[in-house]
Amino acid sequence: MTFTGLIGRICMFPLRAIIGACVALRIHPNILTFVGVLINIAAAWELGIGHFVAAGVIMVVANIFDFIDGKVAVDLGAVSKFGGFWDSVIDRFSDIALFIGLIYLYSHMGRTDYVMIASLAMMFAIMTSYTRARAESLIAKCKVGFMERPERIVLFMIGAFTNRMAGVLWVILVLSVFTVADRVIHTYRALREPRREVLA
Amino acid sequence: MKHPATLPARILWNAFFWTYERASWQYDVMVIAILAFVWLVPPDWLKDPTAHGMGPIGWIFERFR
Repeated sequence: MTFTGLIGRICMFPLRAIIGACVALRIHPNILTFVGVLINIAAAWELGIGHFVAAGVIMVVANIFDFIDGKVAVDLGAVSKFGGFWDSVIDRFSDIALFIGLIYLYSHMGRTDYVMIASLAMMFAIMTSYTRARAESLIAKCKVGFMERPERIVLFMIGAFTNRMAGVLWVILVLSVFTVADRVIHTYRALREPRREVLA
Repeated sequence: MKHPATLPARILWNAFFWTYERASWQYDVMVIAILAFVWLVPPDWLKDPTAHGMGPIGWIFERFR
């Protein structure tokens, strides 16, 4: 087993208990999604005032809600098209909130260089989601590129807990640029060669 | 699109034009490379607004100087 797979399995133990509790209490998954974004806004606030460790702790809590909503929906038999749409929209708000927290912090410190880096990282993070959503309205699947939301969130937490947010922003920016490029190229190729898309 | 012929170029190509699943060995390697960058590159090199110093690399340089 790979070490990232092992970490995933270890994290699933407490999450299963939380999912079980939410199912027992019959909490609607759309409410969990909404609570997740509210907690993420609190994390963004802490990032904005430079309290990185507090922001990291709050992000962990927020992303538990983010992670479990889909599983709770399945267990409750409450899976719906609107639930998927709502989750995607709320996820974008959560993403943007965290970046705005950092942009506020860096602008308050007078660091226009990092305001730009955080802004560009935010732009490409949003484009990562948009390119996939738009591509999948034209082709069957566009799940290529490394830097998706879970990777971004874990990197944000690592940056917050270890005070290495600059390195994290550079990684998110560079890999998000490649992810967007990857998705554009993949979609172009799939549309140019429709037969290959059917086979893929 | 043709894939690059040489091994280093192919590694870089596959790293940036990513098609591997999560929890594959390629994913592990990528995660290790990212963590190495984030934790080992000195904050001063990146002009980090919130962290300072030379980090672990600076410490290693100091030890062996």
